[in-house]
Amino acid sequence: MQIALAGALATVVSTGATLAFYEESLPTSMNPLYAQSMVDNRVHELVLDRLYYHSPITNELTSNVTNQWELAEGGKAVRLTLKKGIRWHDGKGFGAKDVCFTVQAMLDEGTTSPIAQKQRAVFAGCEVEKDLVALVRFTKIFHNPRERLGFQVLPEHIFEGNTAIPPDHPFNTRPVGSGPMKGSMGRRGVAFEQVDNAHHEADIDKMILQEAQDPLVQVRTLQNNGVQGIIAVPPPYRPEVAASDELALKSYDLRSWWFVAVNPNKAYLADKRVRQALNQLINRNELRQLSIGVKPDEQNPPCEFISGPFVQSSPYYNRAVEVSPNSDKDAAFALLAQAGLKQVGGRWQYKGQPISLRIGIKAPLEIEAPDLLSQIGNQLSAGGFDRQEFKISVDEWNTKVLTGQSDDFDLLVGKWSFGLVEDVNPLFHSRSGDKGNLNIFNYNEKAVDSLLSQFNTARTDTQAQDAYHALHELLASELPYLFLWKLDTKSAWRTEVRSNTITPYYYWTVFDAWKFEP
Amino acid sequence: MSARWLRPAVRLGAALVLPFVVPGLITGLIWALPGDPASIICPPELCSGTEALAERWNLDKGPWHFFSSWVSGALTGDFGNSWRLQQGIPVAELLEESIPTTAALVSLGLLLLILGATGAATRWLPAKLDPVLQAVGLVPAVVMAMSAAAALTIGYGVEQYSDQANLLRLGLGALALGLADAALSGTVTGVRGLMESERRQRYVQMAILRGEGTLSNALPNTLPALAGQMRARTLHLLSGAAVVEVVLQINGLGDLLWGGTLAQDFGVVLAASFGFAVLSAALLLLQALVEIGTELHVRRSPGGVVA
Repeated sequence: MQIALAGALATVVSTGATLAFYEESLPTSMNPLYAQSMVDNRVHELVLDRLYYHSPITNELTSNVTNQWELAEGGKAVRLTLKKGIRWHDGKGFGAKDVCFTVQAMLDEGTTSPIAQKQRAVFAGCEVEKDLVALVRFTKIFHNPRERLGFQVLPEHIFEGNTAIPPDHPFNTRPVGSGPMKGSMGRRGVAFEQVDNAHHEADIDKMILQEAQDPLVQVRTLQNNGVQGIIAVPPPYRPEVAASDELALKSYDLRSWWFVAVNPNKAYLADKRVRQALNQLINRNELRQLSIGVKPDEQNPPCEFISGPFVQSSPYYNRAVEVSPNSDKDAAFALLAQAGLKQVGGRWQYKGQPISLRIGIKAPLEIEAPDLLSQIGNQLSAGGFDRQEFKISVDEWNTKVLTGQSDDFDLLVGKWSFGLVEDVNPLFHSRSGDKGNLNIFNYNEKAVDSLLSQFNTARTDTQAQDAYHALHELLASELPYLFLWKLDTKSAWRTEVRSNTITPYYYWTVFDAWKFEP
Repeated sequence: MSARWLRPAVRLGAALVLPFVVPGLITGLIWALPGDPASIICPPELCSGTEALAERWNLDKGPWHFFSSWVSGALTGDFGNSWRLQQGIPVAELLEESIPTTAALVSLGLLLLILGATGAATRWLPAKLDPVLQAVGLVPAVVMAMSAAAALTIGYGVEQYSDQANLLRLGLGALALGLADAALSGTVTGVRGLMESERRQRYVQMAILRGEGTLSNALPNTLPALAGQMRARTLHLLSGAAVVEVVLQINGLGDLLWGGTLAQDFGVVLAASFGFAVLSAALLLLQALVEIGTELHVRRSPGGVVA
């Protein structure tokens, strides 16, 4: 009886309302080393601190946890001085040992994570020089070393110094972080609680993340104030949300671009003229209108066409390479004829055999762009190609598509997102060793490899930009991908949530400024 | 052993082996499926630790090694940690939450069926209500559960997982289980048919003429059949519970099994199927005890008889 009363009383005197929101799904892991989805990346941003991040306002590289930095060892290392007084959520001090522990964990082969594996090509080690001074060593000189320090710092004391972190460690569900919120994952959602710190003082006391339901149920619940936000509003419901006075639709730049990867290993797709012809058959305006609902004359559309492997706001985007918003059937047919294909009864054939294109799409993308796969199929069919359409599960995408084992497909529709480091080398470099490990169809072109190596060895931002500008131009001609668009997601928040600046990609980076006035 | 004891003996034997046979069969099934969780978390082309991970999780030496390692842990209550569903959380903790929830859900659904069966047996429930129950029973459990889930979400919003909402969720789930898919209507018509048929037997008619009760005479003879019917209904509820839990987001065994299967979290899948097998074994045990008890009761010599 007394316990129940105390519980009730605690509820009455507890400070702050709870901000609830819908996410696309529950996170797979609260450990950034085992992040598998954008949901994971967003949750980590609330619970842990990255050494460096881009300010969403000024785009400057900045840090919540470091005071100063300097290059060392001829540019192959960075010396970081950490801020004083920062604590982990359990009260223990945050220091250089945690930074070095995180680096060592990424380097440890016992940390069975693809993210850690990727970082082993970047980091060579870390040394604790003082309590708050760490020397991070790289494998080579990078022209942008601080951009390589965008990883979240893990607490050394939780893992008791054991740098081999397995995927079934309890930290992965009940993490101890240094971020503005302490998080704990249950079977139905994630509960967050504000923690004061030397470098964070979030205004919102509590948050609850729940998995998104049916889109209509999500929007109704938001309208009824059952939740206060939806991270990703499905396109068909955006007009309804935009029309409401109590709700605000906000752009969320995922720094992502959509593509159709083309399999150059298939004989009829090996000739780049065929790939160029497919590019000419695709009407991007029509695709955008039918699958996302954006009209051609819309001002500030959330969906911006691209002509290469970067978003238009990227310094690596080559503005001299124009986009092709509409189709050109005559040009496409001419290219196909030049490549030796013949049209029989309105259908294209290669060496006497009819061509039937197997087109796949990563399944979750159909929620963001409904019917995109069918629309692409329709356009190619109108251009004279038979087709078969497939949806590919996330697991199959990660284990087969990204590892270059999907040669039975001709075309694959997907999306790439880039956080801090916009490095497209793994996508286009020929597969060998640790290079090209995200090269979907094992595309292999020496000129492309050469430009990618130029980027890798660049010592200045200008050299890096020049390499990638040239790459953009080359890929726009070679077309291992048909580049589609950058698509902003739209979040919906009730107007009681104020100052809610949404950081591109990471979302919650400047969460300290968010206010909730129910 | 005489034939009348064979059936309960078989049920007792099945109850003992079921909790291990079911996970064994599940192990064979999941091994036949393409892919494995170690390769999903650490694809060999992207990550060099796949083999180490497979060894950590006993996936490296075939299904028998995996199953036997699992059994030796399960016998001491150690089901390992969840690999993907709730990374790092002991599976035993997940089971501790899930088993009572599923038991409560199925029990509440069963309560509805018992009330219906009792009403039918005692003729308290009139036969003219049968068409109404049958019409309600045409609705699939998944449809009822989905309607309830939408109402809960819209009505409660962020509080949809509060204690009050969870109780309501359990109640609505039990209603869906009990009413849908002809569960209640089948029970009522089945028991009514059995009891009416028994009522027409000569010995019951004679007992009525002697001024004795109908049920006290007919029930011992119909009890084994009734026990069998109810066990079948309970199994029907148990299998339906998996669907209702997933749709209504009830933290039970069915939801755990579903989530574990989707995530290829073998430890969770085996533990959840073990949980289901234990509940089924408990039902088998109960039925065996009822059959034994009935046999002993039917065959006892009545008191006060002078030879």
